[in-house]
Amino acid sequence: MLAKGPDAASLERFIAAAPLGQQAAMRALLALARRPRGAALLSLLSPLDQLPSGLLAMARYDDPDISRPLGWDAAAVIARGRRLRRAEGRP
Amino acid sequence: MSARLAQRLQAEVCVIGSGAGGAPVAAELAEGGVRVALLEEGAWHDPDHFTARSPEMLARLYREGGQTFTLGRPPIMLPLGRGIGGTTLINSGTCFRTPAHVLARWQREYGIEVSEDSLRPCFERVEEAISVDTVTPELAGGNAAVVRRGAERLRWSYGYLRRNARGCVGSGVCTLGCPTSAKQHTGITYIPRAQRAGAQILTGAQAKRVLIERGRAAGVLARLEGGATLEVRAPTVVVAAGTINTPLLLKRSGLAGRSGQLGRNLSLHPATAVFARMDEIVDMARGVPQSLYIDHFAEQGIMLEGSAGPPAYAALALPLTGARHAEAMRAFRQLAVFGLMVSDSSRGSVAALGSRPLIRYDMNAADLQRFRDGLVRMRELFSAAGAREIYLPLPAGVDPEMARRRDLKLMAFHPLGTARAHARPDQGVVDGSLAVHGLRGLYIADGSVLPSSLGVNPQLTIMALATRLALSLLEGDGSV
Ligand SMILES: Cc1cc2nc3c(=O)[nH]c(=O)nc-3n(C[C@H](O)[C@H](O)[C@H](O)COP(=O)(O)OP(=O)(O)OC[C@H]3O[C@@H](n4cnc5c(N)ncnc54)[C@H](O)[C@@H]3O)c2cc1C
Ligand code: SF4
Repeated sequence: MLAKGPDAASLERFIAAAPLGQQAAMRALLALARRPRGAALLSLLSPLDQLPSGLLAMARYDDPDISRPLGWDAAAVIARGRRLRRAEGRP
Repeated sequence: MSARLAQRLQAEVCVIGSGAGGAPVAAELAEGGVRVALLEEGAWHDPDHFTARSPEMLARLYREGGQTFTLGRPPIMLPLGRGIGGTTLINSGTCFRTPAHVLARWQREYGIEVSEDSLRPCFERVEEAISVDTVTPELAGGNAAVVRRGAERLRWSYGYLRRNARGCVGSGVCTLGCPTSAKQHTGITYIPRAQRAGAQILTGAQAKRVLIERGRAAGVLARLEGGATLEVRAPTVVVAAGTINTPLLLKRSGLAGRSGQLGRNLSLHPATAVFARMDEIVDMARGVPQSLYIDHFAEQGIMLEGSAGPPAYAALALPLTGARHAEAMRAFRQLAVFGLMVSDSSRGSVAALGSRPLIRYDMNAADLQRFRDGLVRMRELFSAAGAREIYLPLPAGVDPEMARRRDLKLMAFHPLGTARAHARPDQGVVDGSLAVHGLRGLYIADGSVLPSSLGVNPQLTIMALATRLALSLLEGDGSV
């Protein structure tokens, strides 16, 4: 499900921010969640066990090509914020 | 920690942490003419580098990338901020004064002086400092409009939230770093004030040990980025490292353990979110994500509050998988979401596991029942609002009435209580004036001192108590 490219890299940075022991476990679970049969297995478990599927989905919908058609343009939000900060002299 | 001593600093007060507790103390004291050094483990996060992209901002602005969990039944995700502004940098900006019944309970059960009258001037002072104002219906956006409609049809009491924002344009990413610097977190309010008044603010400085000499605070040993050691000599130390890290620091220092309460009494105010698919376009990411509350069930310990975000947020939080997840996400513009928080009577603990916190928390039967009741209410709310489909955060086929602990998908944003205030030294870590029992010159001013769950968001309570501490130190009660 996770595309190669920028969103894969941002997910990797996200995982790398976790405590060391947790990173290995999360990578293993993410590998499982990437496979259709693994994902099906995880979906039978408790809500927290579904976190890897959720993280893959977060990375996927963080991709501007996917989020823009859904009405969300992060770059435009940031550009407007920057403009307003400058105009109003905020930090 | 490196044995290399890189720097030695002299101050009158050393403050540890720049969040809701530490920043107001530093600013008020510095403006009162006190020589302050503030140590913050994290960095100053430049808004020019905010991207509104979830994975990236979580990794940069949150402690452990926001991937801190409690161990227990059920495990709970517990995100915390790390950097100038602490958790206020990435919070939703909601501002509640401490409910009167909570203050009354603290006076009655913990013997601490926290009357509404005594705290009112501190609340007013904080609210002015961080520009607290009520959200307008226009800024609240479509998500709040859906929920408001449901609440009105059910005749439930609701209101627009008060927030610390100025010039907010409803860009919907408060928890990913406000791109307009509209949210008045402590990093852009109190910290610049402290700096202007001469306080030294050190980032990348992790307090390792509080120094005590002859029963009195003497300073702090910190580790700087790169491994060098900094010693701040100060006869007064205010610890404000937050509910999870304050007990770890004090335990490392061999302090404040006499009551047996340090690291215990952890309340979390656990939360979950319910999604619904509407017929109308909602665009949940437009508007203030946390803009409306429903307090109709507050007496039962159930508070409903807004929570929303961009597609990446929804994709992570939606309680669906596979094709159903994809189908719901295709209709993202029609999705509405609202949060449910439980004022918990369960209590957990924080201990050290190497340099990391081991956070234990098991939910008791009463809180589980509150979640069941709350989820039933949320279903009623979205049905009344006209939802086409409602997505409860439970495994398929589990009714809210029958939900077990392990069925719940929980997060918590308001950890409190691990160095609780109590008038009696055998029952609390600090007294009502936030002084650590049995030691001179050592104070705690963060969420860890609040002895119970508030039932509402805690930043204003923490800031008001921190302000009261600073003012009393300036008056000489605490002998700065
Ligand atoms: C996503 C989210 C949304 C929230 N929304 C709201 C809201 O809308 N309204 C509200 O009232 N509350 C909200 N909260 C909670 C609120 O922000 C916190 O309760 C509050 O900031 C806690 O204040 P504090 O001073 O105890 O700790 P923090 O604000 O967390 O500050 C502690 C600081 O100490 C630093 N630190 C820790 N250890 C050390 C050390 N050893 N040396 C040096 N520095 C150290 C940390 O890096 C941190 O910067 C939210 C929380 C989250 C996670
Ligand atoms: S809604 Fe947007 S502009 Fe308003 S405080 Fe939140 S992030 Fe800032």
